Amino acid sequence: MTKQEITAIVINQVEQLNDTFPDAQKITVNENTVLFGNGSSIDSLSLVSIIVDLEMLFSTEHGHDISLTDDRAMAREKSPFTNITTLVDYIFELINEK
Amino acid sequence: MYKDKVVLVTGSSRGVGLEIANHFLKHQATVIGISKGNSKIENPNYHHFSLDIGDPAAIASCFSTQIAKKFKRLDIVINNAAVLTSQFSMIMPIKNAVDMVNVNLLGVFFVSREAAKLMRNKEPGRIINIGSMAVSLEPVGDSIYAATKAGINTLANIMAKEFASYNVTCNTLSISAIETDMLQQHSEVAQVKIKEIIKNLPIPRQAVIDDVLNVVDFFASDRSSYITAQTIYLGGIN
Repeated sequence: MTKQEITAIVINQVEQLNDTFPDAQKITVNENTVLFGNGSSIDSLSLVSIIVDLEMLFSTEHGHDISLTDDRAMAREKSPFTNITTLVDYIFELINEK
Repeated sequence: MYKDKVVLVTGSSRGVGLEIANHFLKHQATVIGISKGNSKIENPNYHHFSLDIGDPAAIASCFSTQIAKKFKRLDIVINNAAVLTSQFSMIMPIKNAVDMVNVNLLGVFFVSREAAKLMRNKEPGRIINIGSMAVSLEPVGDSIYAATKAGINTLANIMAKEFASYNVTCNTLSISAIETDMLQQHSEVAQVKIKEIIKNLPIPRQAVIDDVLNVVDFFASDRSSYITAQTIYLGGIN
């Protein structure tokens, strides 16, 4: 998979979650959308939902069994969940090392 | 009663798990059974997976490659699988102690979290842990066993908070002594002690399977959406 394809999947997933938010809490979704840490637009439970949805989606729809929350992800100096770009980079890395 | 429901029962090959699996099958559920061994249940609505509940990788793989793809949903989970070695702490074999933690506690954690991922929809989800009177009675010889069962009470209470927004409830049914293979594993001395304990309960008899099924049905009911993070003890234990 290309980074562009992964980006489209991740953005679509975040947009689906965004659709469930009340109007006052809707966020702008693009590659720079902050998912975790300072400036994050979503709460921790929403981030958990995105992670779980993406793991299931990549497994069931694209044949890639990836774990986004293993020790390696947690140990990184810069969290893979910082924003959509870092998340896409991490997913790209996981898929291509298999 | 459970038509169109998909129910997962761990430890479904014998004892209480087998009875619970048959109960849901009798009431038209689709039942997924997990146990280390094979199952004797012959019912077209029963689907068995042989794996070790104490193996997190096997659980994750079963959910992602089998359950999620084949059933695409889960409505009710009964975390029943457990192992028991009753022995004084100082001479408890290390392997048996570790197995109890892996199966009785971590197994419940890993099954519940994978199940919750499939339950995140508008349908009610129910996670029901099978606990034990040992948590309250703290019998000599059951230090690790009782601790693991206390642990699943806590797991249910915290998961109840984490999963509430997904319409998933988490509760524990702590059963008293019931005639199963596991009870037979106790030494004769321990069995005499269990009889003594039972004699002193408010309702001084062993549990029967309908006592268990009654509370399972209560927790599993769609009407029990406001019942979560609760532990019910049978027989008047508290």
